[in-house]
Amino acid sequence: MATGLRNVAERAGDGAGQPILDVDNGEELMHVQSGVAIVLGNRPPKSPGTLYISNRQVVWLSDTDRAKGYAVDFYSVSLHAVSRDPESYPSPCIYAQIEASGNEEDELEDSDSENDDALTLSKVTEIRLVPSDPNQLDTLFHIFCECAELNPDPLEEEDSDNDWVFSGDVMAANAEDDDNPEWDVLQNRTHSIGANGNHDLVHSVVRLQINDQRFEDAEEMERNETNGRH
Amino acid sequence: MLFFSYFKDLVGREVTVELKNDLAIRGTLHSVDQYLNIKLENTRVVDQDKYPHMSNFLVCQLSVRNCFIRGSVVRYVQLPPEGVDVELLHDATRREARGG
Repeated sequence: MATGLRNVAERAGDGAGQPILDVDNGEELMHVQSGVAIVLGNRPPKSPGTLYISNRQVVWLSDTDRAKGYAVDFYSVSLHAVSRDPESYPSPCIYAQIEASGNEEDELEDSDSENDDALTLSKVTEIRLVPSDPNQLDTLFHIFCECAELNPDPLEEEDSDNDWVFSGDVMAANAEDDDNPEWDVLQNRTHSIGANGNHDLVHSVVRLQINDQRFEDAEEMERNETNGRH
Repeated sequence: MLFFSYFKDLVGREVTVELKNDLAIRGTLHSVDQYLNIKLENTRVVDQDKYPHMSNFLVCQLSVRNCFIRGSVVRYVQLPPEGVDVELLHDATRREARGG
């Protein structure tokens, strides 16, 4: 699902313009921050620019060059944090790691820092977003968190070849079980991240419930199949 | 949601999150959500070689700032031994795998 950092060469509107959003599929703008420089990997910062955060992606558009912009889906943002340590970067910024999509065997060399072709960009694994107003950092961090939570990985198709290994007693229990496990639809609860309580571990584990279809049994095995299948 | 429930009960404890890119980050578990997105505080990098900027940044960040880690990039979450009842966890997971 992760696609890595990519170029944004087109914009909507006049002047400095805006990113083109997939409005028909529900993409909407969550936050706009002007006066933001972007740093790709170890390269020099690019500015001035404006940061657009939608519910799907982060877009940085240069204020001066309409052809220069970068975007990354939240699917590809592995982690993000506020960086205030002057030793790692002189200005306070949002630091983010990007799950790169490039091939491992290609050499990653920063031979030309202005070379923004798709191949080079897809290998960028670290970016920094440096607002001219550092007081905006906490807001940016929280919006990143919110939007990341809106973009979990979509559930994949269950493999027909589920290589679960059972012990002998579990196999016997399954053979007796006539019920077909129902495929519970994953509830669309929005558990926002917040401070959770510190409950007694033992009692909580005993009372655990699972309604996640990922933990459901594979299809019932044929009675004729041997126990050797695994 | 076995692991979501399980991690909720580890909030406040020291954990080490190992990402699929081999980076390992140690910190206090601040919170977790149903997708196993993880927020850590007091974070510091365990393996400092691959991301030197990351390690410098994290080593100097004490107690104040959160780090948000996407659940899908987590490979392992290393737990404090005193926070784990292995037998109980075995039973719970075996029970759930059985569908019972």
